[in-house]
Amino acid sequence: MSVLEATFAAAVLTATAPVALAALGGQVCAAAGVFNIALEGQLLWGAFTAVLASHLTGSAWWGVACAVAATTAYAALLSVPAVTFRADPIVVAVGVNLLALGLTAFLMRPVFGVRGTYSSPDLAGLPTLAELGLGGGPLAGILGPQSPLVPVTAGLVAAAAWWLRRTRSGLRLRGIGEHPAAAEALGLKVAAYRHGAVLGAGALCGLAGAQLALGNVTLFSEGMSAGRGWVAVVAVMLGGTRVAGVVAACLLFGVAEALGFRLQGEGLPQQAADAAPYLITLLALVLVRVRDRLRPVGGGAS
Amino acid sequence: MPIPASNIPAPDTAEAAPEPYAAELVGITKRFGAVLANDGVDLAIAPGEVHAVVGENGAGKTTLVSILYGLHRPDAGHVLRRGVRVRFRSPADAIAHGLGMVHQRFRLFPGLTVAENVVIGAEPVRRTGAIDRAAARRAVAELGERYGLQVDPAARVGDLPVGVRQRVEILKALYRGAEILILDEPTAVLTPGEAERLFSVLRTVTATGASVVLVTHRLAEVLAASDRVTVLRQGRVTGRFRTAETTADELVRAMIGRTVAAAPARHARPADAGPYALEVRDLTVRDPDGVVRLAGVSLGVRPGEIVGVAGVAGSGQRELVDQITGLAAAGHRSGTIRLLGTELTEADTVRRRRALGLAYVPEDRHGRAVAPAMSLAENLVMGDQRARALRGRFGLSAAAVRARARALAERFGVRAASVDAPVATLSGGNMQKAVLARELSRDARVVVVEEPTQGVDVGAQERIHALLAEAAGAGRAILLVSSELGELRALADRVYVLYAGRITAELAREQATEDRIGAAMTGTDPATGRAAEPAAPITGDGEGTP
Amino acid sequence: MTAGIRGARRADAPERPPALRAAWERIVAAPGAAPVLAIAGTLVLTTVVLLAAGVSPAEAYPAIVRGAVGEGNLEYTVANLVPTLGMALAFAIPFRAGEFNLGGDGQLALGGIAAAWLALAVPLPGGLAVAAPLAAAALAGALLAGVAAPLRTRLGIPAIVSTLLLSTPAVAFASYLVRFPLGEQGTGIAQTPPLPEAAHLPALGGSGHVTLAVPLVLALTAAWAYADARTVLGYEVRATGANREFARYGGVAVDRLATATLALGGACAGLVGGLIVLGPPYRFVDGALTAPGHTFTGIAAVLLAAGRPAAVPVTVALLTVLHVGGEGMEREIGVPSSLTQVVEGLVIVLVAAFATLRGLRDRGNGTATAGEVGA
Repeated sequence: MSVLEATFAAAVLTATAPVALAALGGQVCAAAGVFNIALEGQLLWGAFTAVLASHLTGSAWWGVACAVAATTAYAALLSVPAVTFRADPIVVAVGVNLLALGLTAFLMRPVFGVRGTYSSPDLAGLPTLAELGLGGGPLAGILGPQSPLVPVTAGLVAAAAWWLRRTRSGLRLRGIGEHPAAAEALGLKVAAYRHGAVLGAGALCGLAGAQLALGNVTLFSEGMSAGRGWVAVVAVMLGGTRVAGVVAACLLFGVAEALGFRLQGEGLPQQAADAAPYLITLLALVLVRVRDRLRPVGGGAS
Repeated sequence: MPIPASNIPAPDTAEAAPEPYAAELVGITKRFGAVLANDGVDLAIAPGEVHAVVGENGAGKTTLVSILYGLHRPDAGHVLRRGVRVRFRSPADAIAHGLGMVHQRFRLFPGLTVAENVVIGAEPVRRTGAIDRAAARRAVAELGERYGLQVDPAARVGDLPVGVRQRVEILKALYRGAEILILDEPTAVLTPGEAERLFSVLRTVTATGASVVLVTHRLAEVLAASDRVTVLRQGRVTGRFRTAETTADELVRAMIGRTVAAAPARHARPADAGPYALEVRDLTVRDPDGVVRLAGVSLGVRPGEIVGVAGVAGSGQRELVDQITGLAAAGHRSGTIRLLGTELTEADTVRRRRALGLAYVPEDRHGRAVAPAMSLAENLVMGDQRARALRGRFGLSAAAVRARARALAERFGVRAASVDAPVATLSGGNMQKAVLARELSRDARVVVVEEPTQGVDVGAQERIHALLAEAAGAGRAILLVSSELGELRALADRVYVLYAGRITAELAREQATEDRIGAAMTGTDPATGRAAEPAAPITGDGEGTP
Repeated sequence: MTAGIRGARRADAPERPPALRAAWERIVAAPGAAPVLAIAGTLVLTTVVLLAAGVSPAEAYPAIVRGAVGEGNLEYTVANLVPTLGMALAFAIPFRAGEFNLGGDGQLALGGIAAAWLALAVPLPGGLAVAAPLAAAALAGALLAGVAAPLRTRLGIPAIVSTLLLSTPAVAFASYLVRFPLGEQGTGIAQTPPLPEAAHLPALGGSGHVTLAVPLVLALTAAWAYADARTVLGYEVRATGANREFARYGGVAVDRLATATLALGGACAGLVGGLIVLGPPYRFVDGALTAPGHTFTGIAAVLLAAGRPAAVPVTVALLTVLHVGGEGMEREIGVPSSLTQVVEGLVIVLVAAFATLRGLRDRGNGTATAGEVGA
């Protein structure tokens, strides 16, 4: 495989991983019937806490662990109002996203002593697979530069797909999302499952944030989630009930982003690269819906 | 209304089973707010029998079986299972005791497969923790084979036609080991061919020693499929029969009884001839699944008339009203509707119909007829927001809106804390009066009214009836859709009866006795007193195909 | 209990809400209660956050107030009211009808670049030199937001998603335009050349910060409040937001209203972009429109005010004071001004949890969870 193609594929993987993790979380929530658009804020919070923990402990792995824990806790800000108090999850999520933006910016000064971006040569980032001695072989060009979280992402995706489709709890979760009243009538605890889904999404976003901030680059900057959480939301809508569909949508975004970088090198304005993923995602969404509408009978109105 | 004086036959003692009844409900009383749904009801289900529970809307049948299934707790009385007192705190308890229920609105998960729907909550697992899908599929296949309920286990439930979905519901109950299977109006969604198949399934079920409780209003089916019948009226048992020893006529009488309806001030008898203000001709409507909901319905209402549409809920009234008011989804219909001479096509918007002179009092108050969060005054304006009279110096005058609301509330007897209070704070009766106030006060020549006194206390009921009579007296044409026979008899000049999507009778005031209406409502031929042959439906794909 | 196959409405979790909530709902149902409570809650929360950050409220509040209304700062605060209030309108107008417009940033940028382009490309005399670019800006914003409406009515894509997805490309497009075709060559800064004198918004008061934009946006807000309360259209919009089915039953053209309100919201956002560009420094600077975060501050203000036109200016003023004052506080005592964002976020979460934001839950939002299958 030529260097260019390998580099491109590697870039796609790197771009896709955080979005895929967040989207996975979003999909689990959607499967349970909770429309979770707080992925952006949680992603940012995960990135921040990852860098914070790495900074304090000197270990990137602690960074990852703390990001997961901290974002799971942060997700309670969404789960408690939305599930226990039955507030509108959209409104709560807007608040959660805003809060993450503000809190991370606010804490940068006391914690890191800078504003805007924190980066330090002493900040421990995640090792690459090549450095760990993995990621060799024919795909070395693609896998070598990735952080270990990328194969973890792949593993989680596969595990989530299996869990949703094949296990009891996964089936029950899906039932709750489809028809909560029927699930309740069968004795399933709707609220508990939903809390679990939202908190689980938080954990996944924490992982995504760690990948974002410690995986490829090693820094935190204000607002670095840069809309990836929103792309994840759309990926969930595009992908429907299948994990494979959601991941495909994320890959689409990853390709668009990597393509954008590549073409930038060849003269494409950066702005086109910025815009492309969103436009492509919107286009894909439109096409999917058009196809759904043309399909004869079957599913009800969305 | 007073209970009929007819004798309530005692439970047939010669039939006392040697073993305890599969289930017994003893002295069940249940209230919902002001409504007494069940009043000291006794019901005994023997093992291996199909027991029909029969009655009109609001007779209390669904409440009763819901108590048996653990959905509600009775205020008084208790439940016995195989002679042992039990207390169900939830359906899960009931399921654990061998009860299963197929509701009118299915509790299925459309995105999951048949096998998943059947086993969910009680899934077979493998060592790995994954669901044993092969075992689930096998269970579905075996049960299907045994009871004649074959379904493809891998099919997605949302893609299945209604008749097949019902099979899944039954399989779900059987999979959990139901020994008493409760079915609530199961044939409401089936073609006659599918209904036949259902009954043979039920016979297979009872052949194994399990029991079936069949809640229905369709007497033809009761006579064809059940072993014993218990009749409820207004929350009480009015008859217990052995199916083989009774007739449709007797059942109808127990269901309907003889009541003395207090007639409100009657409006002057309108002319028998003359143009219709509202005319429906040969209306046929299908739902998105292709099932026919209305078949060749024709009716007409003249100015000054109150024309009733009788029928147990689910006979096609919803589709009829939605087509007339313009709220139905497009497509799937043939036939014509004329409003004050103008033909209404599907392109005619709700606004246009209202402008032409149509008013509508929906059955579903909270969903459609009001915006619960808005004030009473603002709710009363809907439809009239463009009226000149409401303009002040600066545009729509809040003061004028409020004044109008107060006047309307006064005239129609709506009691509310203030016209600025959110409408959600009103009682059911007052909310309904408010809706009536709005619709009847407009300059509308044709008014479609659905279930005007549903969930309304008696005092408000009388007031509402008086309002309707007054409106007719003022020359409006009123189409009154109601499942309350007393209401129809008191108000209507003519009554059409809907059953399974067809008009089964058109009765003038004098002919509209409760016997006849009741008979037509339940598919019994009023002339012969016997169950009418179910007419073949117009389905595009033939009957009974899964 | 009818035999039609219809989707179940609102398949919420069937549990009953806690009794505490029921009591709270009754309090909040009193007219005007929600915004008052929300504002009080904001102040309480700000105090809590200050304390948590180890800052003395006794120091911080006066610093905030000085930062907002003190010597030389008041003008700046007033000028800042404009974009926030405008963006609040951009969200509030569709919100009243039940639609979420989250694409404010894109509409803002597109409006700004449209205004800049017109002002530079077509020199016009007198008042037209200001009016025409502003009109172009509003039109650009309206078109961008308006696209979301048919996507919703025909394809069921919720406005919240489509407006959001269109936002970044719109900002990117404006950014591209300002760097290449329209950019000022030779400075290396991504900005347009300065706009002709005629296109400058007339200033009111000394420093030039306060321009015609202020009375214009205030007038727009007043117009909206009037229309909402006193016109037939306003009534229909409110009814649609309160219960879409009810409005449809009453003959309201709910789909057309959705389109109209979204377009109007976009027009407001675009207009704000135009106003920013036509004010000091009188050029379109890449990123300057979206950096201050007026879009989401506006959204926060609207949510705080529960969408009510009478309360929106108040909450906007409150949040603007917090923002601008926050910057002053940062200068004075060194507490980061992003504090105000923290407060905003927390307030929204709490307001949503405790207040009954009416009509929100009744609307479908894309991932339908209804699962009714039988009769």
